[in-house]
Order: sequence, then structure tokens, then C-alpha cells
Amino acid sequence: MDTHTAGADLVVTRPPAQRRAGIAGRTVDAIEQLVGGFGTAVLALVALLWVVVCAAACVVGVGFWMLPTALRAVRLVADRERSRLSQIGPVVLGPAPLPHGLRDALRDSSVRRELAWLPCGATLGLALGAIALTLPLNAARDATFALWWMAVPEELRQPSFSGWVVETWPGAIAVTLAGFAWVAVAVGLEPPMARLQAWPGRRLLGPRPGTDLALRVAELTATRAGALDAHAAELRRIERSLHDGTQNRIVAVSVLLGAAQRALLRDPAAAGPLLERAQDAAEQALVELRAVARSILPAVLEDRTLGDALSGLAATSPVPCRLDIADIGRCAASVEATAYFVVAEALTNVVRHSGARSSVVTVRRDDDRLEVTVHDDGTGGAAERAAGERDRDGAGGGSGLAGIRRRVQAHDGTFTLTSPVGGPTTLEVTLPCGS
Amino acid sequence: MRIVIAEDDALLREGLALLLRAEGLDVVATAGDPAELLAAVAEHAPDTAIVDVRMPPTHTNEGIVAAVEARRLQPGLAVLVLSAYVEEAFATELLANGSAGLGYLLKERVGRVEEFLDALHRVASGGTAIDPEVVAQLFARTRSDSRLDRLSPREREVLAAMAEGLGNSAIAARLFVTEGAVHKHIRSIFAKLDLAPTDLADRRVTAVLHYLEDARLRA
Repeated sequence: MDTHTAGADLVVTRPPAQRRAGIAGRTVDAIEQLVGGFGTAVLALVALLWVVVCAAACVVGVGFWMLPTALRAVRLVADRERSRLSQIGPVVLGPAPLPHGLRDALRDSSVRRELAWLPCGATLGLALGAIALTLPLNAARDATFALWWMAVPEELRQPSFSGWVVETWPGAIAVTLAGFAWVAVAVGLEPPMARLQAWPGRRLLGPRPGTDLALRVAELTATRAGALDAHAAELRRIERSLHDGTQNRIVAVSVLLGAAQRALLRDPAAAGPLLERAQDAAEQALVELRAVARSILPAVLEDRTLGDALSGLAATSPVPCRLDIADIGRCAASVEATAYFVVAEALTNVVRHSGARSSVVTVRRDDDRLEVTVHDDGTGGAAERAAGERDRDGAGGGSGLAGIRRRVQAHDGTFTLTSPVGGPTTLEVTLPCGS
Repeated sequence: MRIVIAEDDALLREGLALLLRAEGLDVVATAGDPAELLAAVAEHAPDTAIVDVRMPPTHTNEGIVAAVEARRLQPGLAVLVLSAYVEEAFATELLANGSAGLGYLLKERVGRVEEFLDALHRVASGGTAIDPEVVAQLFARTRSDSRLDRLSPREREVLAAMAEGLGNSAIAARLFVTEGAVHKHIRSIFAKLDLAPTDLADRRVTAVLHYLEDARLRA
């Protein structure tokens, strides 16, 4: 892919799709594009009707509930148009995923531009597509008129776009000559028509010149840095739990074995209890090792579902946790791992800081988004803290929340924390499924 | 010997105390964090402190900071630092102002009770105990064409043992040779490295560590 910047605009082009050579080739290309555009226009029309219906239904309230589906439909059609345009010319970059709430979505400039494109795309696309199809057919029909007019019933002996019935050879030849003129018109008009049909999409579906893309780049840079920070913090956490937890247990085993060995020389009876304690310490080391390994990436995600992995988490949580998970299918591995991490981290916070008696983890799939909610009936007041501030146990609840946010943002997801002092606390995360 | 143990892991702390008491040593107090360590030192005036490097609140180098402070409170206090991992850079920093009564060992060495007790006694009596791992790191980082290349394999073993803080008789026992032979090796090593010969263990450790550190810096 060839990328070059011109001022603030970013233009990305692909190697041109196989374009046909010559005048005839260009015309065929143009017709193909116009027919493709016609298809998108039909979908755009359907989406437009749905938007209108939903907007009208807003008067009676249900529309507010229906409108998000319409916006998703618009996004689907717009994405189809983007990929079609990207096939035939410069790549049209898509926007960030749809914001989740209706209000945020309607405030989003890319959503507004899509809504502006919808009527233009639908009307212009349909009209030009229809002309593009009929023009060459009629041109071909007229240009070959002299060959077949005698063979058809009299009422069919008509040139295109007129009611004149041809009865004589000079008339037939005139129609044929006019047919060639039509062919010339078609050859001349089809390519500009194809460009005209693509124009609203190129204008409105790409990023707004300059600002929009710069913002997106800034956002991607920030979330990438956040992802790397979260990754580093994660590695630090793992190093700590290995050194300060597991290793201490194993050292204790070694110390107790050493003591037992010495005891054997002096007073063999004293060695028994020491060996027993050594075994306890070894078992604790194994438990901690399993916990660390599971916190890195649960083995169960590898061959079972996210639900299985989460029920393992819920089952081992010291604060009773109910898991409410619908049939969510599979998401990209990184998305599932992030969802798992979010729940693990959130439940750790619940246990350490909330004083809750119970918690509920809800997982839903809404189209291409995974929604994870962790709710607890604790004392609330949870707030994010920078990763540097740590409390006594080395992984403060606040910095854990920052870690969740960074991880989620790296996936273009959303993170919402509602935790008034006095409780309850609800943490909501949505992630694009990426599959 | 009166000992204070500072280690935040309760199981390990009690295990260590149990081991040392079984060996007839006097563990006068145990501490779970730096503040408790300083309080115990002030209260019991021990001869020796065994200190974990990573302790609350940040689990980074609290143990070292506390050990330095404890030595300021009670000059001459022997400190044996235990750590989950060792870094030679850290060791040279620790021993920058002399190595008398200081030790720096991997935690797991405690399991080899006899050697650990040797190291503990050495540090308590004003000697030095440096983890073999640190010495190995120092050797590994010296440049290949340094003067160390003039040493015979046996002399390198003796040098490493000296760097750990072992005395002549301990080196002789480890290498299964006579003390006289060790003495001869040491004279030869000091001559080859242009170091002033000395039999004082802690001076010797400092000289050897400085030499190795310089060799690393020249690399």
C-alpha cells in the first residue's frame, strides 16, 4: 500500500484493481462500477427508509430505542460503500467504531456525515445506476436495429425513447445510425457518471479532511501508548507475584528442608513437623503458581469458551459472584483475553476494596460488540489512580482500574465506572469483537 | 549472636527464625517492614540483622534503605541482605563504602544451612559474604583480553572464592587443597593483577571486587 501525505490530508491508494485497457474497457469498468453503486444505493434506500421510520417513531418514544439499530444499519451500508470505493480508487478510511450511547453516536461527526450521505447516495446511486444500465442496452439495440427489425412483429419495430414505428429501410438505417450515436454517448458518459455516483461517498464517508484524521491518529497514538503501559504494568505485576509470592514459598520449602536435615542429625523426632510444614509451603507455592499462570492467560481460554474461563473466576472469588452470560459465540482471542482480564481485575477490586457481600458479572453480545458489566453491592467510591500510586498490597484498586481502561481503549472499546460513595459500584466495558 | 530478622513474608520469616533458633542462635526479634526493623534494632541492639531487600510499602529497595539507616543508628551492626534476585551493580553499590560486616546473598542460599551459617558467622564477625551469582556476573562481564586471562583456571576459582568473602581455610576446604597451596595461589593472583597482597579478608574482598568492577568498566 502506498501512503503519502499531502498537507493535513492522508491519501491512501491501493495498486489499482485490474482495470481494463482502451475505450471499451474503460466503459465496461464504468458500467460495472455503476451497477455496483446501484446495489449499494438500493441498500442505502432501505436504510434511509428505516432511519425515517425510526425518527418518526421517536415522536411516540419507541424510536429512541429503535434508532441505534438504524445507525448500525447505516454504518453497515456505509462500510459496504467504503469498501466498494476502496476497490475502485483511493482507499476510503473508515471511522472509529460507533460510540455506544445514542446521544454520543448522534454527536459523532462521522455518524452525521454518514446520515448526510445516505439520501445523496441512495438517490444519485439509484438514478445513475438505472441510466447506466439502460443506456448501453438501448444503444446496442438501436445500433443493431437494421439487422433484426424485419424479423420482429410490427409493434416492436420502434427505436428507443420514442413512439415512432419504423416501416421502411431508410427509417431503419436512420435508427441504426442514431444507435451508433447512442453508443458514442454511452462511451463518453459512463465514466463521468461512475465518478459522479462515487462522489458523495468519497466526499462524506472518508475522514473529514485534516482534523478528523489527525484526531484519530492522536487517539490511536494515545491508546497504543496506554496499551504498552498496561502491558508493562502487567509484566511488573507478574514479576512481583513470582518473586514476592511463589519464590518466597519455595525458599521457605528449602529453609524448612534444611532445618529438617539438620534436625535429623540431632533429634530425628523433631524433623517430622518440619517436613510437614515444608510440604504445606510447597503446596502453597503450587497454588500461587497456578494463580499467577491463570492471571497471565487462562489456559481454559485456549480450548474452551470465555464463559468457561469466567465461571472459573466467579467460582474462586471469595466474594460470592453470580455469572450471567448469554450465548456470545467466539470473539478474537485478544478480545476474549481482555474481557477475562477486565473481570479478573474488577473482581480483585471487589474483594480488596469494596466490602461487598455479592457481585454480578454480566456478559452480553450486541451485534459486533461484547458488553461486560461487573456490579457489586459494596461501599462504592472507587476511583482511578495513576499506575505509580500503589497501596500496601502492591496493586492498588485505582491503578487496576487505570489498567482496565488502557487495555479496553487499546481495543477501541469503552469503559464506564459508576461508583458513588456508599455504593453500589458498576463497571461497564464494551469491546468490538474483532471477528 | 543476637539476631533480628526483617522479612515481610510471614511464612519465610518464621521458617528462618525457627531454623536459626534450632541452631542455637538467639533471634531476639522479627520484623515485617522497615519501621519494625528500626524499632527492633533500637530496642534490642542486636549484633546482626538479616534483611529482605523488597519490603512494603513499594517492594523495591526498602530493605537496603532500612539497613543503611540501622547501621547509622547502631554503627558496627552486621547486615546480611537477602534478595529474590541478585545484581552485581547493586552489590558494588552496597559495598561502595567498605565491605566489613556486610553480606549480600540470594534468598535460596538459606536452604544450604551449613554454608548459610558460615556466611552469617562471617558477616557477624566483620567479614563479607557475596553471593557466587554476583561474582559470576562480575566475571562474565569482564573483557576477554583483561589481565584475568593471565590467571590459571585454579587461580580463577580461588579469586572467585575470595570475592565471595571466604577466608583461606574456607577456600582450602572448598577446593580440597591445603591452606599453604591457597596462600601460594593468592600471592600469584595478586602479583598477576598488580594488587597489594593482604590476608585481611574484608580488604581483600573490596580489592577483588573493585578490580572486577574496573575490569567490567574497561570492557
